[in-house]
Amino acid sequence: MSRREGSLDPQADSSVSPLPHLEAKIQQTHSLARLLTKYAEQLLQEYVQHQGDPFGLPGFSPPRPPVAGLSAPAPGHAGLPVPERLRLDAAALAVLPPLLDVVRRRQAELNPRAARLLRRLEDAARQARALGAAVEAVLGALGAETGGPRAEPATAAAAAIAAAATGGVFPAKVLGLRVCSLYLEWVSRTEADLGQLAPGGPA
Amino acid sequence: MMDIFLCLKQPSRMVDSKRMRMTSNFQWILLTFLLLYLMNQVSSQKKRTPHDLKCVTNNLQVWDCSWRAPSGAGRGAAYEVCIENGSHSCYRLEKNTKIPALSPGDHEVTINFGSSISKFTLNEKDVSFIPDTPEILNLSADFSTSTLHLKWNDKGSVFPRHSNVIWEIKILRKKNMEIVKIMTHNTTLNGKDTVHHWSWTSDMPLECATHYVGIRCHIDDPKFSGHKEWSNWSLLKNISWSSDSQTKVFPQDKVILVGSDITVCCVTQEKVVLALIGSTNCPLIHLDGENVAIKIHNISASESSGTNVVFSVEDNMFGTVIFAGYPPDIPQKLNCETYDLKEIVCTWNPGRPTSLVGPRNTSYTLFESFSGKCVRYKRAEVPTNESYQLFFQMLSNQEIYNFTLNARNPLGQSESTLLVNVTEKVHPHTPTSVKVKDINSTAVTLSWHLPGNFAKIKLLCQIEINKTNSVHELRNITMKGVENSSYLIAVDKLNPYTIYTFRIRCSTKPFWKWSKWSNEKQYLTTEAIPSKGPDTWREWSSDGKNLIIYWKPLSINEANGKILSYNVSCSSDEETQSLSEILDPQHKAEIQLDKNDYIISVVAKNSVGSSPPSKIASMEIPNDDLKIEQAVGMGNGILLTWNYDPNMTCDYVIKWCNSSRSEPCLMDWKKVPSNSTETVIESDQFRPGVRYNFFLYGCRNQGYQLLRSIIGYVEELAPTVAPNFTVEDTSADSILVRWEDIPVEELRGFLRGYLFYFEKGERDTSKMRGLESGRSDIKVKNITDISQKTLRIVDLQGKTSYHLVLRAYTDGGMGPEKSMFVVTKENSVGLIIAILIPVAVAVIVGVVTSILCYRKREWIKETFYPDIPNPENCKALQFQKSVCEGSSALKTLEMNRCTPNNVEVLETRSMVPKTEDTEIISAVAERPEDSSDVEPENHVVVSYCPPVIEEEIANPGADEAGGASQVIYIDIQSMYQPQAKPEEEPENDPVGGAGYKPQMHLPVTSTVEDLAAEDDLDKTAGYRPQANVNTWNLVSPDSPRSTDSSSEIVSFGSPCSINSRQFLIPPKDEESPKSSGGGWSFTNFFQNKPND
Repeated sequence: MSRREGSLDPQADSSVSPLPHLEAKIQQTHSLARLLTKYAEQLLQEYVQHQGDPFGLPGFSPPRPPVAGLSAPAPGHAGLPVPERLRLDAAALAVLPPLLDVVRRRQAELNPRAARLLRRLEDAARQARALGAAVEAVLGALGAETGGPRAEPATAAAAAIAAAATGGVFPAKVLGLRVCSLYLEWVSRTEADLGQLAPGGPA
Repeated sequence: MMDIFLCLKQPSRMVDSKRMRMTSNFQWILLTFLLLYLMNQVSSQKKRTPHDLKCVTNNLQVWDCSWRAPSGAGRGAAYEVCIENGSHSCYRLEKNTKIPALSPGDHEVTINFGSSISKFTLNEKDVSFIPDTPEILNLSADFSTSTLHLKWNDKGSVFPRHSNVIWEIKILRKKNMEIVKIMTHNTTLNGKDTVHHWSWTSDMPLECATHYVGIRCHIDDPKFSGHKEWSNWSLLKNISWSSDSQTKVFPQDKVILVGSDITVCCVTQEKVVLALIGSTNCPLIHLDGENVAIKIHNISASESSGTNVVFSVEDNMFGTVIFAGYPPDIPQKLNCETYDLKEIVCTWNPGRPTSLVGPRNTSYTLFESFSGKCVRYKRAEVPTNESYQLFFQMLSNQEIYNFTLNARNPLGQSESTLLVNVTEKVHPHTPTSVKVKDINSTAVTLSWHLPGNFAKIKLLCQIEINKTNSVHELRNITMKGVENSSYLIAVDKLNPYTIYTFRIRCSTKPFWKWSKWSNEKQYLTTEAIPSKGPDTWREWSSDGKNLIIYWKPLSINEANGKILSYNVSCSSDEETQSLSEILDPQHKAEIQLDKNDYIISVVAKNSVGSSPPSKIASMEIPNDDLKIEQAVGMGNGILLTWNYDPNMTCDYVIKWCNSSRSEPCLMDWKKVPSNSTETVIESDQFRPGVRYNFFLYGCRNQGYQLLRSIIGYVEELAPTVAPNFTVEDTSADSILVRWEDIPVEELRGFLRGYLFYFEKGERDTSKMRGLESGRSDIKVKNITDISQKTLRIVDLQGKTSYHLVLRAYTDGGMGPEKSMFVVTKENSVGLIIAILIPVAVAVIVGVVTSILCYRKREWIKETFYPDIPNPENCKALQFQKSVCEGSSALKTLEMNRCTPNNVEVLETRSMVPKTEDTEIISAVAERPEDSSDVEPENHVVVSYCPPVIEEEIANPGADEAGGASQVIYIDIQSMYQPQAKPEEEPENDPVGGAGYKPQMHLPVTSTVEDLAAEDDLDKTAGYRPQANVNTWNLVSPDSPRSTDSSSEIVSFGSPCSINSRQFLIPPKDEESPKSSGGGWSFTNFFQNKPND
């Protein structure tokens, strides 16, 4: 494990068996994912509040436009092996930060005085990046092959969504909602997947 | 054509005249047929010649004339048309001909077709002016603004002169071409072909439906007198949005004014099922195909992210966002000023919020017209109601600026202007880097930094100088501005060795605004020599050998630094003696001096130098005429006054001390100028109720003379103790009291007197309560002569306990009381007199009474005890008349002749006296049956009844036998004897009620209740005493029953008739029976209460 990702006991790296350390790492990442899941729910709620009616009205189901480079977790995701799932999680979390940045920029124009929403979007991008890195670290610790840094898909997705977001305010709102929803889905998915590895979770 | 008209007119008149005359239907029918016939004839005539000549023009230069060909004329037939237009000109033409426009007026036109000739009169008035159909050169659309742009050519070159043209443009929408709008547009023909542009903004986005546009015109040539008609409509041109298959909503992200209407449409190939504005459903307006629209009326201001409009199709939804807001308000409170004459800062308030944010927010541009420069406001989200500001770099050599602030947003723009001379609008920055440096002990230099280039103007700065425990001082300084921003000034008139706090703010001249205050800078000025010598006084020690010199520490302002020590010296004409240096905390020195006159000098020293010496003479100037006065202060001080004395050249000194302290006594002293005549002595050491001695000294040539000695209080209080008093002497009617002085410490004020209270009272019972409540039984003596120490209280009662109370008082109030009980001595003379006088009086009365009785014994006998009573004087016998008169039922004694028939004198010494009453048996008495008949039980015994002796009653016969009258003398003291057994009388009396009975039949042993029961009987049955005997309570002290007050047995203390127990002496004086019957004892003489 690299020092960059943090260690509760740095000296244990060389002297102690890596298994407890891996468990701790998984536990930490799982806790982070759980925390971010809660934050993502709050972000989604906050986002909906600032888009005006009929966003947020009960029964309102906006379209779910496709987001270039990022899809929702597939229905068969749960059937995949855990490392594979984590790899998909990490890949999605790597794409999400630029998308969240685009959404924040658009919301800065629409809701410049919604400081909390803007801060949450900014935090979400940073937290998604951190969680993705943590999942990558867990994958590395597990000995699974990681996807590595994949800047191209993320950049392409951001460019695509930026183009889409400039098409109109309403599509941009819907797209932002979609991005926030995807963020929540992937973070909660990651939490579930890490829960499979965490001590006490289903093996 | 006109001829035909005239021809037709004649028959018409004929028909009319006939119709007037004919009244039947037949006549009508006949007339109709006739008319038809005539018309047919005329028509037939016309068809054989060219007819119906018509001329029109489309350019006012050429008339296009046409006529109907005669019947039989084939196509291509040639006509000869001749026009009489000043000159005769003929044309060989076919059916239609274009002729130049004719001048105004009638012109004869002849058309020859073969042999038939038709003549017409042609006038411009008969010509119709129909412009050519306009042609739309171009129709374009700006979809973003929903605006159609129309372009066409007026072809004005074909018209000979300028004319006004009215263009009518119609807008049609949808495929079924619903007319949306018809509008007119006016132009002028100017002889040249001109392309006109016209724009129209649709309330519906142009993308929503196909829009068609057509145009026609009407030329109003004022010189043309013919018919001016509209041209035909041009060919319609349309605008349609070439949509792809994607569903879209229009308009996208439109910014509109609050309160306006807007139409939003959804161009789709799917069926729209629902439209929402925010959360509100909207009715759908169906357009071509599946396209729908909704109309929003009077839209309200949007929230920050806009108003969402959503169209729902079966499995999807599409939308747009509308931003409803306001155009920018006029910038308010525009103000431009400079901090440093380098940059101008303009601030303003945006006014009414526009409800538009982000890219739709208001953008501001500040334009300066003299220089032509402008700056733009970099958009930043400023909270509502917060001011905006822009910085404008100043230009060299330009002081006056004309600013225009332009506000713009998608809905409009506004502006505000301001002309400003920036040199008059300088609001300097806060001065910084304040520094202080010494110049001397009373002056410093103050420097600071003020950013800005003020070289061309003057600065007005304000320095605030704060001194500890002092009012802050403000000094205004005007200085010339500098380029390097550093400023330096000198601040003088400071006090040495004083902590000052400086701060600075600046403005410019002319004044506009003060800068903020700089940070405070604290500084301690340097020391200087003490400005004056210490305030000095001296006292001789109690033994008179040493002189004690006192001085007061110098104030901060006088010390000018930290006082380190004092030098004390004394000098005479011969020598100068100097004491060793006395360090600061000590402010007293003692010198052993003789009684020669010395000058004492005291000097204070600090690190810089010594003060001027303070000098004082050791000896006082004697004053023989000195009196002690009194003074009372005002609570916190005491006012002392004195007369002006020109001899006093230095000053006056008032020293004071607590009077209870021993000499030398000095609490403090105060110097006042020699021209003063009064001063208020104040000291924190003064306490109320404490006596102080004040000494006023006058100064002459450094020598002091005691002028006045005053004792006083700053405030008087009531004494804390009562005067201690004792009884010096006591007599039967006076007490002499002596008391002592109250100590000064406990007096707490000037003694104003004593209050002495006294009253009768025992120690245990009497409480001297409420001394001040004015009780009448308390006697008070106010002793205002405070030198008096004794008091004799006189007119007291002997052998009486008195309660004495003494208290002292000052102007501060009454002191506590001290009380004492004293019993006066007994008064023996009075007692003797009290005994002797009643005895003497009793003896005299007895003697006089005896003498009177003795000398008048005959009269008394005749009056009260006659040998033979006179019946006429007998009241008992008068009773018959007075009582029974008028009452026949009442049987009374009829006294015919009441002659005593028997008088017997009895001895009274025997216990049971043998007394025989003279019994008078009257005729009535001898008939008891008669009376018993009327009242058998309550028979009335009415008889003259001398006292009945029961023994005598037992032998009535003997009584009757005796014929001599007897007088019975009864000792009134022993009258009880015959009544010893009253209860037995009715039974043992054989005579019963028939014989003579005593008038009074007293049941001497009966109870009061018995008497009460017989009360009625007594009232009605026979003679009774005139008074109620029950009320008699005559007690003979000698009677054995006199002590029994409850007994009903009475004895008579007055002379009584032998046959009556009623007093015969009339009760003129109610007291007399009592006094005469009550007896007399010596003890009664002293009886205070007669009832007792």
